[in-house]
Amino acid sequence: MPALIFTVFSDMSFMDIIKGRRSIRSFQDKEIPREHLKTIVEAGIWAPSGSNIQPWEFILIDDSTLIKKIKLLSPGLYGVPKALVILCVNKKRSEKAGRLGESLAIMDISMAAQNMMLAAYSLGIGSCPIASFNKKALRELLDIPEHVDPVLMISLGYPTEWPTPPRRRPLEEVVHVNEYGKHFGR
Amino acid sequence: MSMENILEDEHFQLLAFLVASARGCVDEPPTYGPLRLIDAAEKVISIIEKKYERKLPELEDVKIIIEKARNVILTDEEEFVKTLDELVVKVSKIIKRL
Repeated sequence: MPALIFTVFSDMSFMDIIKGRRSIRSFQDKEIPREHLKTIVEAGIWAPSGSNIQPWEFILIDDSTLIKKIKLLSPGLYGVPKALVILCVNKKRSEKAGRLGESLAIMDISMAAQNMMLAAYSLGIGSCPIASFNKKALRELLDIPEHVDPVLMISLGYPTEWPTPPRRRPLEEVVHVNEYGKHFGR
Repeated sequence: MSMENILEDEHFQLLAFLVASARGCVDEPPTYGPLRLIDAAEKVISIIEKKYERKLPELEDVKIIIEKARNVILTDEEEFVKTLDELVVKVSKIIKRL
């Protein structure tokens, strides 16, 4: 693992980072240093990838005019973030995994997205994963080629507040131990 | 009218939001439809208030209910629907009074 990422996580426990991350939809008017943005996308490329195909392309946007334009066509994008990462599937790469390629690519992208959001949180930066944006519009705005499919967007910025966590289904309900229907502590 | 500053025009911003939402609603969860509509309603309030060059208390109350609805949509669908009802009653009261 690169030393840069390791340093970022050093002052919080890993579970603190996992549990502390929230989806942020209101951001301060404060720029994110470019080096921190670079750390966040770097966390993405270290995600697991089926057959190590790495079918992803990440488009980092930190131009405020461009963010404003993207926001106009992204109904799920709340607040005014200071940066966006558009996570795309490169179909020329994902098809190397055969019939599984499409679903594997979505899994890989999801894991990369989680890495990025956790890295962001560890730097005090809020994030929100967004699927409600218009792909065709984004393709037009950013000149994304046909074989590259934007599937997820992450908004980034310093939050105006960290929201309280929503309810999680308890471990005792979600986890099945050794046999479906057998739970912890029952 | 020049198209140069159209990005700053709130009517144009609403237009873009509506067309993107229309396409999104085809694939998204059913509750996202009403969510987009109340988001659009909030944008309309902003346009109205800009036109009158002041905050209108009754519309500010509507905005508070919209925010309340948005806060529960992912956690409590029943409460979300109740809040939409509250929103309709609030707007109806404004209409009735006039």
